[in-house]
Amino acid sequence: MSLSKKELSILIEVMYSIVFALIFLPYFYENQEKNLTLIDGLVEKIIQITIGSVIYFSAAYAILEIAFKKKEARDERDDMINSKSYKLGYLLYEFSLFIFIGYIYTKFQNKELLNLTKNKELYNSFQLTDGGILFFILVLLACTSIIKSLYQFYLYRTV
Amino acid sequence: MILKNNLKEVRQKKGLTQEELGTNVGVSRQTIISIERYRYKPTLELAMKIAQNLNIKIEKLFYFAE
Repeated sequence: MSLSKKELSILIEVMYSIVFALIFLPYFYENQEKNLTLIDGLVEKIIQITIGSVIYFSAAYAILEIAFKKKEARDERDDMINSKSYKLGYLLYEFSLFIFIGYIYTKFQNKELLNLTKNKELYNSFQLTDGGILFFILVLLACTSIIKSLYQFYLYRTV
Repeated sequence: MILKNNLKEVRQKKGLTQEELGTNVGVSRQTIISIERYRYKPTLELAMKIAQNLNIKIEKLFYFAE
C-alpha cells in the first residue's frame, strides 16, 4: 500500500493524538479529583506538552519533506475532504459536549439526592472538580481528533 | 443517472500522464485518478479547465449514463 504525502501527514496527526493520549492523559486522570490550583506540576506538564508537540511535529514534517521532495498541490478535492472530515469532527465534539453537560447535570442532581442520605463519604465521591472537567474535555478532544483524522484518511483512500 | 467521463481515453490519446495533466490544470495526480475512476466529481471550473487543456468539448468529456 503506497501512501501519499497528504495521507502520511494525516497519520502523523493520528499518531500524535494517540501518543498524547497515552503519555499525558494518565497524568490528568490521576489528578482529576483535584482542583486546577492543587494539581502538582501542572504548568510544567503544559510546558512539557507544548515543547513535546513542537519537537514531534517539527521532526515528523522535516522527515516527510525529505522523503517527499516534490510539493503536492492543494486542490478542490482536498478542500472537499477537509470540509467533510472537519464537519464530522465538529459535530462529534459538539454532540459529546452536550452529553458531557448532561453528565455534569445528572452528577449534581445525584449529589443533591445523596446529601439527603447523610452519607458524607459517598457524597464526597460525587465531586466534580476542575481537574475532572479538564480530563474529560481532553479525552473528548483526543477522541474526536483521532476519529476526524481517521475519517479524513479514509476519504483520501476512497474518494 | 451517473456522471461518467472519457478522461482516461482522451488523456492517453493526447499522450499525457496523470501527473502532467494534473500539473497543467493545477490539481494533484490523485485528483485526476479519482476523476478517472468516477470517485470524485470535479467542479464545473475544473471540468472546463481539463476539457480546455485536452482541447475537447466538455460535453464530449463528461456525460450522463443510465
